[in-house]
Amino acid sequence: MPTSVCTAKASYKKLAGVLELNDTHLQWAQEGKGPSVRVAHKDVQALFSSKEGAAQVRLKVALVGDDTGHSFAFTSPKAHIEREKFKAELTVIVSRNRAAAEAQARAPVPQAPPKPLQALPVKPLTPAATPQRPPLVSATPSRAVSVSSAEQRNVTIIPGNDPATDVRLRKTVLMSDPDLGALHRELVAHTGQLSEAEFWEGREHLLLSLAASENQRKGKSGQMVDPRPETVDGETKIVMTPQMIHDIFDEYPVIAKAHRENVPSKLSESEFWTRYFKSKLYHAHRASIRSTAVQHVVQDDPILDKYLEKIDDELEPRRQRNERVELFVDLGATFEDHGETGNEKDITMIAGRQRGALPLIRKFNEHSERLLNSALGEVPAAKRQKLNTDNSYGQIDIDDLHQPESSAGIVLEMQDRQRYFEGGISTAAPDAALHKPVDIKTLIMHAKVNMEGWQTKFTQLKVERPAGDEALISMTKNVAARLDVKSRKNDIPDALFRQMTICQTATNEFLRQFWASMYPPAAEVQVVAVATPAQRAAKAAKMLGYLTKTQEKVDALVYAGPQHGVEPTRIEIAMKPVLDAANRAIAFHRTKTAPKPAGTRG
Amino acid sequence: MKFSIDDLPVIFPYDRIYPEQYAYMCDLKRTLDAAGHCVLEMPSGTGKTVSLLSLIVSYQQFYPTRRKLIYCSRTVPEIEKALAELKRLVAYRVECAETEEAKEKERTFMGLGLTSRKNLCIHPEVAKEKKGKVVDARCRDLTNAVACEKGRADPGSVPLCDWHENLGKMEPGSLIPPGIWTLADVLQYGRDNGVCPYFTVRRMMPFVDVIIYSFHYLLDPKVAEQVSKEMSKDAIVVFDEAHNIDNVCIESLSIDLTRPMLDSAARSINKLGDKVDEIKTTNSSKLLDEYAKLVNGLQEESADDAEDGFMSNPLLPNDMLNEAVPGNIRKAEHFVAFLKRFVEYLKTRMRVLHVVAETPLSFLQHLKDITYIERRPLRFCAERLQSLIRTLELDRLDEYAALQKVASFATLVSTYEKGFLLILEPFETDNASVPNPVFHFTCLDPSLAIQPVFERFSSVVITSGTISPLDMYPKMLQFTPVVQETYPMTLTRNAFLPLVITRGSDQVAISSRFEVRNDPAVVRNFGSILVEYSKIVPDGIVAFFPSYLYMESIVAAWNDMGILNEVWKNKLIFVETPDANETSIALENYRRACDNGRGAVLLSVARGKVSEGIDFDHNYGRAVIMFGVPYQYTESRILKARLEYLRDAYRIRESEFLGFDAMRNAAQCVGRVLRGKTDWGLMVFADKRFARADKRAKLPRWINQYITETASNLSTDMALTLSKLFMRGISQNPEENQTGISLWTLDDVLKAQEKQRALALEAKEAEDEDEFGNGEFTDQMLIDLDI
Repeated sequence: MPTSVCTAKASYKKLAGVLELNDTHLQWAQEGKGPSVRVAHKDVQALFSSKEGAAQVRLKVALVGDDTGHSFAFTSPKAHIEREKFKAELTVIVSRNRAAAEAQARAPVPQAPPKPLQALPVKPLTPAATPQRPPLVSATPSRAVSVSSAEQRNVTIIPGNDPATDVRLRKTVLMSDPDLGALHRELVAHTGQLSEAEFWEGREHLLLSLAASENQRKGKSGQMVDPRPETVDGETKIVMTPQMIHDIFDEYPVIAKAHRENVPSKLSESEFWTRYFKSKLYHAHRASIRSTAVQHVVQDDPILDKYLEKIDDELEPRRQRNERVELFVDLGATFEDHGETGNEKDITMIAGRQRGALPLIRKFNEHSERLLNSALGEVPAAKRQKLNTDNSYGQIDIDDLHQPESSAGIVLEMQDRQRYFEGGISTAAPDAALHKPVDIKTLIMHAKVNMEGWQTKFTQLKVERPAGDEALISMTKNVAARLDVKSRKNDIPDALFRQMTICQTATNEFLRQFWASMYPPAAEVQVVAVATPAQRAAKAAKMLGYLTKTQEKVDALVYAGPQHGVEPTRIEIAMKPVLDAANRAIAFHRTKTAPKPAGTRG
Repeated sequence: MKFSIDDLPVIFPYDRIYPEQYAYMCDLKRTLDAAGHCVLEMPSGTGKTVSLLSLIVSYQQFYPTRRKLIYCSRTVPEIEKALAELKRLVAYRVECAETEEAKEKERTFMGLGLTSRKNLCIHPEVAKEKKGKVVDARCRDLTNAVACEKGRADPGSVPLCDWHENLGKMEPGSLIPPGIWTLADVLQYGRDNGVCPYFTVRRMMPFVDVIIYSFHYLLDPKVAEQVSKEMSKDAIVVFDEAHNIDNVCIESLSIDLTRPMLDSAARSINKLGDKVDEIKTTNSSKLLDEYAKLVNGLQEESADDAEDGFMSNPLLPNDMLNEAVPGNIRKAEHFVAFLKRFVEYLKTRMRVLHVVAETPLSFLQHLKDITYIERRPLRFCAERLQSLIRTLELDRLDEYAALQKVASFATLVSTYEKGFLLILEPFETDNASVPNPVFHFTCLDPSLAIQPVFERFSSVVITSGTISPLDMYPKMLQFTPVVQETYPMTLTRNAFLPLVITRGSDQVAISSRFEVRNDPAVVRNFGSILVEYSKIVPDGIVAFFPSYLYMESIVAAWNDMGILNEVWKNKLIFVETPDANETSIALENYRRACDNGRGAVLLSVARGKVSEGIDFDHNYGRAVIMFGVPYQYTESRILKARLEYLRDAYRIRESEFLGFDAMRNAAQCVGRVLRGKTDWGLMVFADKRFARADKRAKLPRWINQYITETASNLSTDMALTLSKLFMRGISQNPEENQTGISLWTLDDVLKAQEKQRALALEAKEAEDEDEFGNGEFTDQMLIDLDI
């Protein structure tokens, strides 16, 4: 169990309660209730306290990624002393967190979320808590904290996540899927028929995918920076943001250079940009083919024109790149494979005739490469050629021509297997004997005899009229019936309908849990510790308990029908599939747990 | 996987085989047995190369004659891929071989690839040169026979190439251990062992079982004479990716002359003259020797000659004259004067300011009237120049490139009458005012260059993913194939979705037709296709345009319309540029972006650099968009001449040829998205002209069979709906088992063979009843004959 470092009476959001600092968390509980605020040590980012002598003795904790944080007011008579104690303890924690954060920021590739790693060292603390752990919940460091009343809230589904994140993830999933949310409310929050862990079992993938998508680092936006003037009240304006300036410097190192050399010594910041947008430099850099036409209008600028570069519109790029690419994409090698022969290409097929487009095209390629490098890092020249050496056949391999690796599959467990196969053999044997002596000649003879005189028979054929009529009438009836149903589909009052839906979804959830505990566990479950057979059996029994009640629930609904002006039979019909499914599960369970006949396995 | 076709055991380096591959191999074997030529069209991405190599290597290893394989491909990436494919195949064969002896036999199987000095040079100085021509020239200076002799006699007097020297010390025939060497492998081996990769390959060529190089090394007489002369006649020749073979043929016999070239040639002639005068005073015996040789008509030939031959005759082997050089150009100074006169004449011709088109005969007549230059000495021009350069022991031959070109031109123009045309274009475009004259000597008949290949080699295989309509090639190249086959693609589920978009969402018809292509509505609709697809397609999208000119103008227009800004939001953009190396780097980054999941769009040109030889399989190309029909530029005078010739000589109508040519290029672009049957991709044809039945009929059968009636006339929004539906379906795990239908196990192959045998038996019975018997050889007879 976690050891408490210090406790004090404190109010939070004007509710009286107890603030406690233990060796992993800072938590606050309303009097007589479980902790409602829990902050892991590593989430504490900053500490604020009210001035000495203020009316209230307050302590505010700011969290990582949440500056509002929590604010506590100490209420006991010796509030000051208590607060100082908390402050002293928390200051140590805060400084430790800051050091860790800096180290993380300095780390070269902070790609993998470091959370699981940090959590690991705390693990040895848990053994004391494990025996009390409910089944199916994995050992996580956070479980070490008080298990008793807070259990429902502090369950983590995904190991390695701290509970706060886990709760947040679950909340997001429930919010984004209203149906699931309703189910959760019904089963877990209101009735408590399922525990939080049980509810999420089998739905871990929802959390995992959400976590994965949240952890994905977003790259830079692909758009090129292209400040375009807007005309407001007859005045042409270009609005610059710091981000834009940064992007421009990134895109055009020349401007960064010009900026460095001239601001603030010769020009002020705004002067620089005004001049820039009027200069040839800007028009040369504009990602537009029309800029060439504008150039004649633009005035000379003694400062910025120095930075003008030659326009990169030659057939060969201005910036020659000598790195050799791997042979599979090396177009230059083909070009040099043999001496040039033949007539020159016709004018439409000569690349680079549209001079104005070339700088633009080059800029696209460079911009894309820059974006790629910002996300992946540059490719070192030495590594370039070896990109594919580890599996050089990868590029020529046709993967579906390989023998597929067979999966283990699920072994079919069958009652009375032996008897089944024996039975099959015994029935098949006479069958085979029966089929063997088929004499094709006699068959043909028979067919021929049967066909004899078909013409006369055919003329005598009379289709009885009533049969046709009957078919038509039945079809008409069918259509009418369906139309009828369609026209009064939604006449069940909302309240009842909602109840029915709840009943149905709840039963479905129980069924899901039930069958999940009956099936052999999936091999790839990586989330929750695999439950023991005993636990699974216990769970199945529990679910069965709920399922047996389905009949009562449906009966209640049927009974309530007339009060809402709905025929009971309709409700019965509507709920029948659910009931059937539940009964099926009950029956299955009965046969499975029933004493087994000798020699077979259930 | 091991099975046998007739009596030939075939080893196929996979556990499964596509039915197409099996059929392909059967037909290939039939061709080889019959010692004839064939045209085979096999769907892109169904493992054509591996089937081809697998069968031919099996064939080579099984029959004692061990016919050599000459495998030609278009581009260096394709050559490298074929080599890698071969390497894996042989490794698999070694694994499969049962006895140690058989294993050894497989291990000694040898395959090499050849490319230029520029691509294979490891000399630290020479390799740095940017131009292939310069590398060639500098390499020759360091490695030619004369220099070597001098350098060896007196070390240090002449700079030599150490890597080449090291090679000389080794035993010919074992310069490199047996096995399969890709280009990268050979380079690495050269670096590790200090030997020259280029000459290793060149000198090992007589000893290898498989040689892989580009079309030009067999079709271009200038190269072929040096490289491929000694190939034995029973070699199997394969032209893979042969859909453009007619263009390669034409190119290898065509020459352009420009004014700068003539100026440079004139300078070279002056230099030659100076050199001749100089050598006359210092070492006149050399010139006398040469003269004597020329009188006797001696061809200077030695083993080394073929290697450092810098420029050989541009003529096809049959057209070469085996007689002594005419008297009036035997003397060096006479020849120099002769060249001077010829170049002067050409310069005068270039002053004309109107377009001239004439036959070689009328050109020669005019030449004779003005300058008294006869036809016969002109024919020897190239040969005579070669001899002179050798006698004078010139170095840095790249400086004489223009002169060599003029000499080749002289030889060609005086040798060929039919199938060639001279066109003088004084202006680049119709509305240009500054003259930039170009003298085109253009070959119109692709069959000329390939004829020697068909005559010399018994089996020539022409194959590609897209050579529909099949009968076009035998017609254009003038040969009779024994087998001519196209294979449909068997699929259990449609792995690709061809769509024809004929109009934008606003119902404006889209087309790259010249009159409307720059219409803002069309440009916008093309743009919105790209934007919408960049939103819904994962990873890579490749877009092809009909020409560089159009791509460059449309990229600029899209940028100004803000269309590309929409694309930037979803994907990165890469564009093909005029520079090959720059484009390669862009391509590599494109692939990185696709691998990374960022996704990218590659804008490129049909029949451009990227469209040939680069694959966009799997995530590298989930959609290909063909903007417009890639017609050739019909205003081109060369094209017009060629069309006229095709019509007169082979009765191929102009429109038929243009349509065929456009569709084969479109199919080629679009076909690059697939490799294997689990791969998938969208193929979008965006032009209303694709909807016409006569256009679609020219697409390969394997693509055409999957264009549904509904998908052949769509607007952008409809196409998007279909695409989304397709992607949703295709991303599911394939439920049905492909095995047995589009994927065969060994059992399926055996079953098919059983069935075939039964059919053959039936056919035979039927034939026996036919008392007239058609008198052809049966396959069996030919097989027996071959052994």
